[in-house]
Amino acid sequence: MMDWAFLFEITLTGIASGGLYALAALAFVMVYKATRVVNIAIGEMLMVGGYLFFTFAALWAMPLWLAIPATVLACGFLGAVIERTMIRPLLGEPPISVFMVTVGLGSVLVGMVEMIWSADQRRLPDFMPSSPIMVGDAFLAPKVFWGAVIAAVLIAAVLLVFRFWRGGVALRATASDQAAAYSVGINVPRVFSLAWVASAMLAAISGIIVGSIGGISSSMGVFGLSVLVVVIVGGLDSVLGALVGGILIGLVEALAGAYLGGEYKLLATFVVLVVILMLRPYGLYGTREIERL
Amino acid sequence: MRIGTLKESYVADAALFDSRTQHAWLAIATALLLLFPFMASDYWLYMACLVAINVASSTGLNILTGYTGLVSLGQAAFMGLGAYTVAILQTRYGTPFLLNLLAGGVVAMLGGIVVGIPSLRVKGLYLAIATIAASFITHFLFANLRITGGTGGLSLPPARIFGLDLDTSFRLYWLIVPVMVLMLLGAANLFRTRIGRAFIAIRDRDISAEVLGIPLLRYKLLSFGLSSFYAGVAGGLWAYFFRVVTPESFPLSMSIFFLAAIIVGGMGSILGGILGAVFMTLVPELLKLVFDWLPGGADLTVFLSPVRLIVFGALIIGFLVFEPLGLAEMWRRTRRFFHLWPFRN
Amino acid sequence: MNPQRISSRRRSLMLGAAAAGATALTQPLSVLAQGAEEIILGGSIPMTGVFAFAGIGINAGIQDYLKIVNDAGGVKGRKIKYVPEDTGYKVDVSVATFKKITSQNKVNLYYGDSTGFAKTINPELDRNGNILMTGASFATELNDPKKYPNQFMVGPDYTEMFGILLNHIAKEKPGAKVAFVYSDSEFGRDPIESSEALAKKLGLSVPIKIMTPAGSVDVSTEVIKLRRAAPDYTIFHGYILAPIPEFISQGKQQGMTSKWMGTFWTMDSSTVMKMGEVGDGFMGVMPFRYYYDTEKAPMLEKIRAMRSEYQSTAYIQGFLATMLFTESVKRCLDAGKPLTGPNLKAALNTLKDFDTGGLIGVPITISGNSIPVGRVYKADMKAQKMVAASDWIKL
Repeated sequence: MMDWAFLFEITLTGIASGGLYALAALAFVMVYKATRVVNIAIGEMLMVGGYLFFTFAALWAMPLWLAIPATVLACGFLGAVIERTMIRPLLGEPPISVFMVTVGLGSVLVGMVEMIWSADQRRLPDFMPSSPIMVGDAFLAPKVFWGAVIAAVLIAAVLLVFRFWRGGVALRATASDQAAAYSVGINVPRVFSLAWVASAMLAAISGIIVGSIGGISSSMGVFGLSVLVVVIVGGLDSVLGALVGGILIGLVEALAGAYLGGEYKLLATFVVLVVILMLRPYGLYGTREIERL
Repeated sequence: MRIGTLKESYVADAALFDSRTQHAWLAIATALLLLFPFMASDYWLYMACLVAINVASSTGLNILTGYTGLVSLGQAAFMGLGAYTVAILQTRYGTPFLLNLLAGGVVAMLGGIVVGIPSLRVKGLYLAIATIAASFITHFLFANLRITGGTGGLSLPPARIFGLDLDTSFRLYWLIVPVMVLMLLGAANLFRTRIGRAFIAIRDRDISAEVLGIPLLRYKLLSFGLSSFYAGVAGGLWAYFFRVVTPESFPLSMSIFFLAAIIVGGMGSILGGILGAVFMTLVPELLKLVFDWLPGGADLTVFLSPVRLIVFGALIIGFLVFEPLGLAEMWRRTRRFFHLWPFRN
Repeated sequence: MNPQRISSRRRSLMLGAAAAGATALTQPLSVLAQGAEEIILGGSIPMTGVFAFAGIGINAGIQDYLKIVNDAGGVKGRKIKYVPEDTGYKVDVSVATFKKITSQNKVNLYYGDSTGFAKTINPELDRNGNILMTGASFATELNDPKKYPNQFMVGPDYTEMFGILLNHIAKEKPGAKVAFVYSDSEFGRDPIESSEALAKKLGLSVPIKIMTPAGSVDVSTEVIKLRRAAPDYTIFHGYILAPIPEFISQGKQQGMTSKWMGTFWTMDSSTVMKMGEVGDGFMGVMPFRYYYDTEKAPMLEKIRAMRSEYQSTAYIQGFLATMLFTESVKRCLDAGKPLTGPNLKAALNTLKDFDTGGLIGVPITISGNSIPVGRVYKADMKAQKMVAASDWIKL
């Protein structure tokens, strides 16, 4: 005897929370697509976004329409700084080195957040509409819903940008072949900076939303591990994959949590990861890497 | 200045330590290791044991990542497998500790081989992420199986040798350090054999290695197995040292610590593994000393933990940007300086 | 051959010098910096990391009480010296600082930062034999005088905390449905099984137990499950703040009528106030009075005189722990016994109807390892205070 209403409700929530994952995954894909860098510090960049918003909106009591853009811009600046100081010098090094640099970066960010804001958990000021969303009899938490909506809008925007805007095309060109992009006159270093800035800004938005839901703390970065699974499932360099992967993982987590128990959530996610790695290592939509001797 | 090294037999040529100066160094190092526990305070003995365990585990990771080129973020998970095996055997069956250590190594080895299976299909970073999955799956097992004591973990009685309890840092030193030395010698010797050279070939260009006739899957799994055996034994020593194992004892951040240790130390050399582990284990202590000396008193100690994190991350970034070959390279440069003195090159 | 011999000799010389230097370093860096007859209180305190707010409070509480004691001349003329080290709430750092402090001082009293540490250090503690230890953990397992003879806790253990809440519920609404929401950690899982059994004994039912993974952000699925169980009361355990406010706000949005409760580490006033609107009416068990309680409490007045801003319940815990430490030392010295772990513990266990100066509302008796006393408090958001919602309950 299946409780269909329950299943429906869980599915709805799963899809919506998947939208949150998709947004953070988008930030990750942005960097990988342009620079082939696996940025495992994406969770920590998200955290910095949450904390900056906290500072602007709660501590300095800026109005929302000022606080959100300020956070986004500040994070964009941070992204540019990171790219210039830590990623650019490692151009040409094996990918594992750059990966480890982002690991180090994550550690540094957590340390800085703890130093400036202390490690206490905090809540962000509420700013999203709080009336519950009802789909028939099923209930959907409003924050999650609106977060998913924002994520969907941003992903659609990014997809369009990549297709139609010159900068987006330049990004794709740099991603497929750096040398060729140089030779057609694309300013490759500028493209790299652009990618990191955009990624950081997306991470900031994601951080604000995730922080509004679960509060902010210096261990928020662990969200990044689930995001890693999402991008592997979807494909490291696919924007559409980020969306689909996010929804899929959100669903899997919700179903696992509902039917098996809270402790199985992370396990289910990682089992999905292993399965995907064995069956389709490049993800659902990722480009196949062909190794040449 | 070392000019020529004449060898007159194959045995001499293939020897691990081939010059008189190296023999002298070895003798001094051995003497230091033997005398240290009698001169050091309890705290430094504790640190020495911890460093030795980290050196053993880092060497294992070096075999896998430094020499075979397979990036792994699962070293802590394999240590956990070894530690829990030792804990279960010791508490349930009371078997002698050497046997437990070996069993811990074997169980971890099996785990490593299982985790290594995806290495056939995925490479590089994808493999690293698969090992993260291993970390979480083992954590889940530790926290939810009855036999591992759940989230409370297991506490074990100290190892016994001839009726003597190994329960102080001083006594544990005599267990941990010899085991570590054995493991180091084993690893150093590994890379004079065919297997070791195969590992290095796989790291450099694995498709070419296969063309040369090295069966990839077998050697990759062997590498995983060996490195996790090392991790398992190190984990067993860890269990005897701390005498409590919980699922939280082997988090992902510990795997990251070991990876950072071999990067900072220098991947692909045994000396690098040693230097990196020693350095990364002692840096937090050094920071604490610095904080103790600074004026400002108790208020500053609030910043110790975040500063540790920042220094850890900065060290990784710094070494990767400025000295990618790590401390071992710095050491080699210093040695070359003294070898060639008074000449420059 | 000449150059080689010179450089090898030079190298050996340098190595020898380095060895000598290293040997010098291995001596403890501080000479036993103990004054005459001082009693040492060592501490592995989590002043940074996730438990920092508690660690800072505990640190201040210990220091303040020792100031009161030492200013009055100490215990039988002997002053108590506090030697803390930060641990970042990590077990191996806590163990390392314990070893460091005990190797550099003769320690008789120790404060530990976590359940993990308390369990790990227990064999060392027993071997050392000179130390009485307490800490920030109220784990049920530690409340076993046979297994942990040299340790105690400054309050009820987590199962007893649940017991106090369940007793209160059984009185208010017999036969009620009580849901447990707890975190996937040792801290969280500790009291769940035994509390479920206790609930059944008291005639209450536990329709659902929900465990949330550590560090989970989105709890919507869990809230859906909780709503479907329609409990009358929901007890949270194993958290400090998150994800409780999210649970409550989503639960209220979905029309849940459950009353919301928590245990010790959630119940600090500043933590509950951070919940905002949704925290109004949040209840929980607290064995101590709050800093701003106005009932007659001479110790609270002293604290308020020493510190004009709000002090957390962690501060009061540290303060009280030191009070109990000092009392044990006093009774031990009065009986003419040397300061060893078992003697100090025995002295502690002679505390019957001991008056804590009002920090705990009733006189306490410590017969085992815990103090099974507490009161249910309720959050009043308008007044930004926690107000008492029950009498002092002794288990």
